Amino acid sequence: MTGKPEDATPAEAAPESGPETAPASAVAGRVQQSVAALIILAVACWVAIVSFDVEDPQPYLFPQLLSGFMVALSLMALLRALRGKNRTGVGIGGRQFLNIAAGLAVMLVYVFALAEWLGFYGAAFLAMLTLYSLYDPQPHDSVRTWAVRLAVTVGFVAVIYVVFALGLKVQTPQGILF
Amino acid sequence: MEFLDHFGAVFTWSSMLILCAGTIGGLLLGATPGLSPTMAVALLIPFTFHMDPAQGLMLLGAAYTSTVAGGAVSAILLNIPGAPANIATALDGNVMARKGAGARALQICFISSAIGGVLGILVLIFLTPVLASWALKFGPSHLFWVAILGVTIIGTLDSKSVVKGLLAGCIGLWIAMIGSDSIQGVERFIFTEELEGGVHIIAALIGLFAIPQVIEMLEGGRKDPRRTVFEVRRANVWRSALETVSKVRALVIGGTVGTVIGLIPGAGGQIAGLVAYDQSRRFSRNSAKYGTGESEGVVAAESANNAMVGPSLVPLLTLSVPGSPTAAVLLGGLLIHGIFPGPDLFQKHAAVAFSFINSMLIGQILMLVFGLAIAGLAAKVIEVKPPILASAILVLAVFGSYSVQNSMADVAIMLVLGIGMYFLARYGFSPAPLVLGIILGPIAEHNYVQGRIIGEAQDGIAPYFLTGWLNILLIALVLLSLVYSIVSEIRVKRQERAASAEAAS
Repeated sequence: MTGKPEDATPAEAAPESGPETAPASAVAGRVQQSVAALIILAVACWVAIVSFDVEDPQPYLFPQLLSGFMVALSLMALLRALRGKNRTGVGIGGRQFLNIAAGLAVMLVYVFALAEWLGFYGAAFLAMLTLYSLYDPQPHDSVRTWAVRLAVTVGFVAVIYVVFALGLKVQTPQGILF
Repeated sequence: MEFLDHFGAVFTWSSMLILCAGTIGGLLLGATPGLSPTMAVALLIPFTFHMDPAQGLMLLGAAYTSTVAGGAVSAILLNIPGAPANIATALDGNVMARKGAGARALQICFISSAIGGVLGILVLIFLTPVLASWALKFGPSHLFWVAILGVTIIGTLDSKSVVKGLLAGCIGLWIAMIGSDSIQGVERFIFTEELEGGVHIIAALIGLFAIPQVIEMLEGGRKDPRRTVFEVRRANVWRSALETVSKVRALVIGGTVGTVIGLIPGAGGQIAGLVAYDQSRRFSRNSAKYGTGESEGVVAAESANNAMVGPSLVPLLTLSVPGSPTAAVLLGGLLIHGIFPGPDLFQKHAAVAFSFINSMLIGQILMLVFGLAIAGLAAKVIEVKPPILASAILVLAVFGSYSVQNSMADVAIMLVLGIGMYFLARYGFSPAPLVLGIILGPIAEHNYVQGRIIGEAQDGIAPYFLTGWLNILLIALVLLSLVYSIVSEIRVKRQERAASAEAAS
């Protein structure tokens, strides 16, 4: 994850809001920048191969033009990253990644597993309560703080239900719960 | 004066109710740190599906206007700009709050916002039809270059690195190609079944603007960010109004700078406030006081921010090239209502277009009234804890993207794009050019393919795209924006190097 010593700093700068508040010195290092550029170059090459390897070029005229620019620009980005230039963006520090990993897991499980299996509202309740509790700085061993968490979650999901199900009449997937 | 005929649609009970709700909601959303205007408008779009187009747009327009003004509340009281547009507001506004003049700063901010805002909307009202009738003469090659110009300008101005900005624009253009092509229906770039219907613009907008902010709120882990909210004491509204109006120079500079920057496609409000603040300081008699709680700085920054709102819709409504990221989201809102902005908008959908523009004018006044009334309440909203906000936005994003066309695929695309954008943003890519690419992709492709057909029938493809004074003018603008950004990038690098060399010695 870490390429240069300064990669460790973004995690300390993070709590306020994001890139704007991070100190100017906290810029992603050469290795991280190069890997990011390499991934984009790979996508660009794939787009180019798909666009040019066709029998009827008519639907791919614009993608052909576009993929040329994509490959050229991502090559430039990669070359600059390898030379240690073009260093914008704060990158991802190890601790910061650990901090967001749990949240990312909740999001992915929520959307790709729970939403259809549990039903939209049941899944929303579970996902919101989990995410909120995981990151809530309040103590986790008191009945009162858990009551607050439950109440806020139930309240918000109820508002969502009123707005989407009753107001906008959106038919959401119903799983084993609701 | 055609716009005067369409005020009737705005002054109905339901329209006024929608405008009030949009304004109050926008002020509160804008005041909450972590909720940007762009994201607020993106999350609101699903709520407009069931409204008629004019009223849906009124809601979005009112929210756009008032979130920009609401963002000043957290800039002043917390020193955390609610949106990038409010960075300049914090410079003097927060110092005023520290000195106990928080209420006066808020009042001055809303009053100057309204003055700048009305000025901007008037420019929108009078310039749009003129520009639209001129743009009617545009052929496919010109529209192709306009689309490319939109992506280039936002790609180069909105990010620190020209290469990364343009690359983000290209990625957006490519995402727009996913799905079946519009002419033959051939399926392109579909590598999972979720992509069969292509990437819906609303799902993309919600994902790209909401999810990265959700993840950013989680970066700090369980740490409680300690913030100082400055107390809001009462202040006399009339005295603040007089004080604002007396700063004629700052108002004129703010209004002009905001209007001009708004008109440039892609430049957006991020820089309007800062440029106006700088210029106003340069021409002010008490420039030394700037940064020490000088209300003139707040006036310049806020009048510029809101003066930008109206003009940023001019290129949007006439050429379908949005002037700011939020205008891009607004374009998404227009598209789902089947309204395709462009030169013929004022012929095909005159009623919708004019009542939307008129409602923006009324929206400015409502924003002033409600802003002054609830500034104190807005300070309370600021205290919503990041974990609550993050989880609530996540749920709202899932429901919002699902309700676009009752499709689970849209939700999956929303989340994957959002998480991808978070990581891209960490490496200096910004969402604005990407979104503009997605929006302008179909326009660019359609006109490119049509232009080729016309060119082949006439005297060749290259001459069709590259000759004629309008083509050359547009190409020159594309090149100009590139050269300007590359030069300023080099200048910034040089300054940084000089600064670090100084620090080292």
